[in-house]
Parts: sequence; C-alpha cells; structure tokens
Amino acid sequence: MVISAEILEATLEHFFLAYTALLAGIIVAVPLVLLSLYSERLASMVMKFSNLVQAVPSFAVVAVVVPLIGIGFTPAVIAIMLRVLLPIVKNTYIGLFNVDPALIDSAKGIGLTEFQIIRNVRLPNAYPAIFAGIKFAAILANSIAVLTALIGGGGLGSMIFEGLTNFNTAKILAGTLPVIGIALFLDFSFSVLERRLTPEYLKNDI
Amino acid sequence: MKFKKLFNRIESIRLEKVTKRYGDRFAVRDLDLEVRGGELMILIGRSGSGKTTTLRMINRLIDPDSGRVSINGADVEDFDPVRLRRSIGYVIQNIGLLPHLKVSENIGLILKLEGWDEAKIRERVTELLNFVSLPPESFMDRYPHQLSGGQQQRIGLARALAMDPPLLLMDEPFGALDPLLRTQLQDEFCKIKKELGKTIVFVTHDVNEAFKLGDRVAIMDNASLVQLGTPEELIFEPSSELVSEIVDSKRKYRHMEVLKVRDMMQPLDPGYFLEGSLPAEIALQKMVDGGLEVALVFKESGAAGRISLNEVLKAGKTGKNLNEISKPLLVFPADASLFEGLTQLKEEGESMALVLEEGMPAGLLFSDRVLQGLI
Ligand SMILES: Nc1ncnc2c1ncn2[C@@H]1O[C@H](COP(=O)(O)OP(=O)(O)OP(=O)(O)O)[C@@H](O)[C@H]1O
Ligand SMILES: [Mg+2]
Repeated sequence: MVISAEILEATLEHFFLAYTALLAGIIVAVPLVLLSLYSERLASMVMKFSNLVQAVPSFAVVAVVVPLIGIGFTPAVIAIMLRVLLPIVKNTYIGLFNVDPALIDSAKGIGLTEFQIIRNVRLPNAYPAIFAGIKFAAILANSIAVLTALIGGGGLGSMIFEGLTNFNTAKILAGTLPVIGIALFLDFSFSVLERRLTPEYLKNDI
Repeated sequence: MKFKKLFNRIESIRLEKVTKRYGDRFAVRDLDLEVRGGELMILIGRSGSGKTTTLRMINRLIDPDSGRVSINGADVEDFDPVRLRRSIGYVIQNIGLLPHLKVSENIGLILKLEGWDEAKIRERVTELLNFVSLPPESFMDRYPHQLSGGQQQRIGLARALAMDPPLLLMDEPFGALDPLLRTQLQDEFCKIKKELGKTIVFVTHDVNEAFKLGDRVAIMDNASLVQLGTPEELIFEPSSELVSEIVDSKRKYRHMEVLKVRDMMQPLDPGYFLEGSLPAEIALQKMVDGGLEVALVFKESGAAGRISLNEVLKAGKTGKNLNEISKPLLVFPADASLFEGLTQLKEEGESMALVLEEGMPAGLLFSDRVLQGLI
C-alpha cells in the first residue's frame, strides 16, 4: 500500500517534469524557427546549436547543467528541454522550409504577404512534421526525465536509482514499469491524435 | 472592402530597357516591349530565353536591375507589391493550389484576406466555377488532390480571376497537360478570352498555342526580344532564321487555322469587272476588245458572279444582262479564316471565291493556289 502511493506520486512527478520540459521546448523551438524564416543567419545558428546539443550524450547534458544552474526541478526541466529541442526544431524547420516552391511562388504571385504565406501556406504544410517532432520529443523527455533524478529532478528515476544502489528488484521494477507504461501510452495516444490531425489530403499517403 | 484596385483598365504595359542578370548571365537584356490594353500578348522562345523573368517583372515577383516597367504610365516600383499583385491575375504551370484547402477556399483565399464576408465569397466562387465550366455543387468542397490536371488548371484560372483583375499573367498554364486536354482548354480559353475582355500576357513554348491564342507574339531568344508581330507577320516576314525556325514558316500549312483568307488571296485586276446591268451583246464586245476569257460582276448587295466568254457568246442575242446569266461566285471577307474558306469552297464544289476588303472586291482565293502556297 505504501509502495503504491509512492509509485503514484513518483509517476505524477515524472509526468509533470517531462511535460513541463516538453512544453518549454515547444515554446522555445517553434517561435525560434518561425523567426528563422526571416533571417538566414538565425536559421543556421538555431540549427547548429540544436545539432550540437544532440551530439552530446544525454548524460553529459544533464551533468553539465549542474555547475551552471545547480540542482533541483528547474535545472532538470532545462536539461530535458535542451535535449528535446532538436527534434522539435529540426522537424518544424523541415516542415516550414520543405514546401513546394511552386506553392510559395503562386501564393506570393496572387498577392499574399510574407506573414500570410507563413500562416496560410507554410504552417499548414508543416503541421504533420511538427507533430512528428513533438511525438519523438515527448518520448525522449520521458526517458531523460529518468536521468535527471541524478540532479534532483525527482520522479520515477529516483526510485530506479535507489533500487539499483540497494539491489532492490521490487523498487527497480516499481520505477521502470511505469516509465515503460508511460512510453507506450504516449506512443499510442500520439498516434491516435496524429491520425485525427492529419489533413484530409495527406491521409491517402499514410 | 479594404482594397481598391490599382487600375480598372489597362491602357498599356511598357518595359523600357529592362535588364535582369543572375551573376554575370543576363536573364533579360535591354528589353523594350509594349503590351497594348486589351490584347493577348504571347511570349515565346526557347527554354531559358527569359520569358518567365520578363513576365515576373510585371508583377514585381522580380525587380529588374535596371530599366523601367510601367503600367498605364506609372512605374510599378511605386506600387506596393502586394497591392500590385492583387490587381493582377497570375497563373502558372504548377498551378500551386494549396493542398490543405478545399477548392472553394483556394479560390476565395484572397477574397477572405481582403475581408469579404462569407456569403459574398461563396457567391463569387460559384460564379467563377461556372465561368470555368466546373459545376459548383460538385467541385466546391473537393480538395485539389481530388481533381484532374485539367480541373486543377481551371481552378487556377478561377483563383486568378477572383478579384476581377484587368490584367492576367499566365506562365505556360497548359504546359503540363496532355495534347488532347491542352487543345480542349485552349479552345475554351479562346472563347472566354473575348468574354473576359482582359489584357493578357501569356508565356508558352508551343507555337501552335501561340498562334491560336495570341493577338501578337513576341519571340525571345537569349534574353532579348527578336521579333514582335501578329502571327501572319511572323509567318510571312520572319526577321531571321531563328524566327522562321520557331514559327516554322517554311511549312505554312501548319498554320492554316491562324491564316486569314487575305494572306493567301491573289491580287485582282479591276479590268475583270464588268457592270452587271450590261446586256450580253455589249459585254461580249468589251471582253473581246479587252482580251478577257472570263469576267466578274459585283452587285451592290455584296453578291458576285462569274461568267466565261463562251457563256456570254451563247447568251448573245437573248437580250439578257450579265447579272442574269452569270454564275454565283462565293464571297469571303478578307479576315475570314483561311481554313473555313477552304472548307466552304470544298463543300460547294467551287475552286475560287471573291475576297472583299471592307465590302469592296480586293482579290481572289483559289483553292489549288492556296495549297501550292502553303506547301
Ligand atoms: N533565380 C535564378 N537564379 C539564377 N538564374 C536564373 C534564375 N531565374 C532564372 N535564371 C536564368 O535566367 C535565364 C532566363 O530564365 P527564365 O526563367 O526567364 O527563362 P524561360 O524563358 O522562362 O525558360 P523556360 O522556358 O525554361 O521556362 C535562364 O538562363 C535561367 O537559368
Ligand atoms: Mg519559364
């Protein structure tokens, strides 16, 4: 009974941590990429930075946050956010930039402003890609949130590491099974959402 | 409505010494070109000759490096590009319908951005769909991917017409269609062109299309204008090898549909005409004196007749006049299509016809001569 209350609390904490970070990632990434549409320099900086973070092992990203901003919930959120930035940025970028040039051209030709082109042509075209990026980022956030227990982020990671140090199999399972459960749940729910949100014209291709 | 069109009528579009280069290559070089209000001007030439660049400098999708583009005398540089483009219809080969929007939303997009209310947009879209021969009730709610190439092209045209612009720019609009469909759309476009009453600049690769649709044709090569003229002028007076190669003037019969009766008629010696009221006896005298084997009569009503020396001889003493004894002769106006003229000659089993220029006899059209002239 005690254990199950503890598991529930850790699971909620885990969820909260991972999704605060994911949300922060979206809030930072999407506008950055939209702004990049106006500046090639910004676009290349954003891409370089998020590629760099991607190249560094997750564990190192989590660790390097500590000397910079210390330990606890907020540093954990930032560590996860840095890590999930890339898939979101990259996919948003691909979605916004890989639009058939003829579409942009004709939209411009019939008199849409730059902003109206982003709003009416680029964004709708990018939704599927952005969504795929967010799905990937969500699953990534779930697993990195395990690591951030090491820097005081709390959540299921704390249980897992506690179990590992004490060779407490029950505790390890109590930590890992919910993480796996969350991962499966995410994959499933995002797939459902994805099917709902896919525009009519793309459905045949999936 | 927020928006006022920059112009309601096109008097003229002028390109003066316009140059555009990419790196050290000229896309358009020192181009002078005037499009007259109401005409359909074709730009034709080999790939890379600068047609698209020229077209896109009119709606400022491209700004020239030097030179001036003006509409009704006003430099296009002085217009806001977005307002300019909303005053000009634009249709391209790739059409560019937005795949996530329904047909009605695609056509109505600019109207919506212009702040029209839903009911008015719907009404306009319905009108436009009818205009391009697509039943609104079955096409309104489709997505572009549910349309054939030809249907998409029609929607592209409807979208370009949404704001009722006085000027249309079309860049190989039928280029991607198969030949049969292309011919069909050209025929339809030919018809609605008159109804539209718009000034149109139209880029194509296809000389048949150019001659079928164009009032005047500008031939471009190597970033420059090579020759500008009506189809007939280009066929009969090509200014260079290149032009005759492009218009294929050596094989004029290819262009029978664009040629007029006038282009192939033989000049007519007025000496052949005799008064219809002349009695046969007197006419005979005149023909013998003038060495005529055959004579023509022309009546006030516009009808005409032909009569041979032999027939005049036979009628000699009957007292009948030429009007009574001559055989009717087919009459064509000079600007009738050569093709239709020949068809009619064949149907009537006739070998010649009189050609009238402004109601007066100007020449003769002989079916066999035409064929010789064409081959
Ligand atoms: N954005 C660009 N950058 C570099 N070169 C360009 C660009 N646009 C056009 N050009 C060059 O300018 C020249 C004229 O191009 P343009 O598109 O006007 O030709 P076109 O007559 O329309 O050809 P096509 O029949 O193939 O459409 C070509 O040599 C082309 O390669
Ligand atoms: Mg072109």
